[in-house]
Order: sequence, then C-alpha cells, then structure tokens
Amino acid sequence: MTQELTHYLESIRYTSKLSPSDEREVISELETHIEDKLQELTDSGLSEEEAIETCLGQLGSPTSVARQIYEAYSQGSWKHVLLTSMPHLLFGALFALNWWHHIGWLTIVLSLVLGTTIYGWWHGKPNWVFSWLGYSLLPVLAVGILLLYLPKGWSLLAIPVYLPLASWWLIHIIIQTTKKDWLLSSLMLLPIPIIIGWFLAISPAGRFTEYSVQQVYSLAPWIGLSFITLALTIATFLRLRQRYLRIGLLAISGILTLTLVIYYTSGRLNTLSFAGLMLVMWGVFLIPALLEHRIRHGCILPWRRRRTDNPRIKQHA
Amino acid sequence: MAARRDILKSSSNSLLLCLLEQQPMYGYQIVKELESRSQGYFKFKEGTLYPALHRLEESGLVTGKWQTLSNGRQRRYYYITAKGSAKMATERTQWRDFLNAVKLIIQPGASSP
Repeated sequence: MTQELTHYLESIRYTSKLSPSDEREVISELETHIEDKLQELTDSGLSEEEAIETCLGQLGSPTSVARQIYEAYSQGSWKHVLLTSMPHLLFGALFALNWWHHIGWLTIVLSLVLGTTIYGWWHGKPNWVFSWLGYSLLPVLAVGILLLYLPKGWSLLAIPVYLPLASWWLIHIIIQTTKKDWLLSSLMLLPIPIIIGWFLAISPAGRFTEYSVQQVYSLAPWIGLSFITLALTIATFLRLRQRYLRIGLLAISGILTLTLVIYYTSGRLNTLSFAGLMLVMWGVFLIPALLEHRIRHGCILPWRRRRTDNPRIKQHA
Repeated sequence: MAARRDILKSSSNSLLLCLLEQQPMYGYQIVKELESRSQGYFKFKEGTLYPALHRLEESGLVTGKWQTLSNGRQRRYYYITAKGSAKMATERTQWRDFLNAVKLIIQPGASSP
C-alpha cells in the first residue's frame, strides 16, 4: 500500500474514533475495496499513480467518510446509556436522599465506582467506563484534602510527595483516555469543576468543619440535582450521533450546571472563585482537545503498528 | 448533479436493501452493480457506501460476514436480515405509490398499473 493510501486510511481511522474491533473491520473492508479498485483501474490501462489518484478521488474526502462512519457507530444503546449515567445517578441519589453521611452507603457507592472502573479499564476500556473513571479520581482528591489535617510537619513532608504523584496519575489517565478520544476525557472530567464548586461553597477555607456539614445538609438536594443533570446530559450525549452536537451539549450543560452551583450557593462563592471554576470548565474541553492534537502529531501512525495484530491483514501482506 | 446526489442520499437505504434482497454482495460489488443497473445514474462516492452499510447493520437490517474466496482473498459480504426484508417490503410499496403519483402528475394521460 502506497503512502497516500496509508495516509488516507490512517486519517479515517483516527477521525472515526471506533473501538479497536470495529476499527479493524472498517479499515480492512476499505483496504479490500481499494485493492479491487486499483486492480480494475490498472487493468484498464492507468499507471499506478493515476490509479491511486482516481481511486482516492472516487472514495471521497477522508474527513467526510470518517464523520459518517463515526455517526454510524456512535449512538449508544439504552443499556450503555444506563451504564454510563449510573455513577452520576448514584452520586445524585447519595445527596438527594441525604445518604451521604451514612458511612455504609458511601462505602458501597465508592466501592462500586472503583470496582466498576477497574473492571472496565482492564476489559478493553469500553466507552461507558470513562464516566465511572471521573468519580474514581475522587479518592485521590480526598487524600490530598486529608493531608491538610496532618500535623504541620507531616503535612509539609507529605504534600511534596503527594502532589507530583497525584499529578502524574491524573496526567497518565487523561493521556490514556485522550488517545482513545479527547471527548471521552472531557466526559470523564466533567464532574470535577462541579465537585470543586460545591466543595468551595461548603468549605470556603478549604477545610471540612462542622459548618461544612451543616452546609452540605442544606445544599444536599441541589448537589443531588446537579449530579442528576449530569446524568441526563450523559444520556443525551450517548443518544446523539453527530460529534459537533455532542461537543456543544457537554459544553453547554457543563456551564449551565456550574451556573446552577453558583446560583444555589447564593453568594458563598466570590467572583474570583466563579472565574476560576469557569476556567477549569473550559480547561476540561480545551486541554484534552489540544492534548489529542499533540499526541496525533507526536506519534507516527499508531495504527500501522496495531494493524499487524489483524490476522486478516497479515494474509494480504 | 446536486439534485441527483440528494435523491441518492435519501434513497440509498432502499437501494442497498433492494440489491441485497436479490443476493448477498460485498461493498465494491454493490458500487458496480448500482452503477451498471442504473446505467451510470447512481454513482456513490465510494467511501460513503460503507457508513451507509454499517448504519443498516447497526439497525439490524443487514448483517456482514467475512468470507474467503477460492483465490484466498477475503470479502465482507452483506446479507439482508428478516427485519431488513420486512422493511424493504414496506418501502417497496411506498416507492411504488410515490412513483405512480409522480407519473400521474408529469404524464397526465398515463394510467397507473
């Protein structure tokens, strides 16, 4: 296969954002089509260069083909919708039903989140796992907050160890997710600005005190509502086929939910916190998108390495 | 040309189901068959055929299977499913009614069969 054709297929592979098994099917099918087409064109008397040019012209723009392939595969089933929105619903229920202060319920929900995330991560990283993954980052955040409560000397020793480790872990997870699709990273990180917003509202000094507990009691229904809004957003996201609609939905819903947080905290968050949270929310979209751009241009044809795993393609080689 | 593209876009599912109802085919064969049967009228941008086929497959109207030919090459053949046949039967009636209605308008003297 020539470089032009390889780039054509690589461009489709990269933009269509399919699961590895679907990707192999689609790319192999396009390869067989191209082989047939080139055979026909060269048999009709065209040179190899002319045949490739004609073939690519008749296949159509890779962006348009990839977009249509994405739309053919992107819609999640209702089972996927339920599975993906489940962590948001669980956290929503935890607050809406005021179960958040029962250690039993909290342990069950967190164990479920961690267990499901680990299971999904080691079983092919299906798309539904990324909304669970976002919540499984919470214990890392919680450890950071707990370090503030250590005696001062210990705190000063632990924080320089914690910060690089936690940052490395977070960056590693974001890179792994962005390699699949930057939009999944945004989906995963979407609850983070909301959680930070609620945390700042209930603990303005950054410490969890008796006052914070009272605040959570009074704000619990709204905290629950914000998570349920996220669950509805994710459900709609999965049923939409078009990528631009999905991006728009996540961005609008993220900002609206954050606005809801600001509204219900009624003045507990100052302008600086609000601006900072909006910045974090935009970061949730811009950083994964920019990161994907860097990854794409930083590595050479990852698909070419992977496709040797495909026995069908080996036979043709 | 744009009008022809629009017609093809809106009717591509029916055309694909109709061809597959007659016999299982692979992508390249479908492109050639569609072009020859319509005497060159229906020409797909070939790359866009596969998303159309995969949409039909996702909807359960067709199913694709890899097959190895006697020369060792592999092809993904598409078969119409029972759901696809039922859908085609409905669409065929709709197309027939539509074509009769159009004929009555553009050829006022012609009677419907």
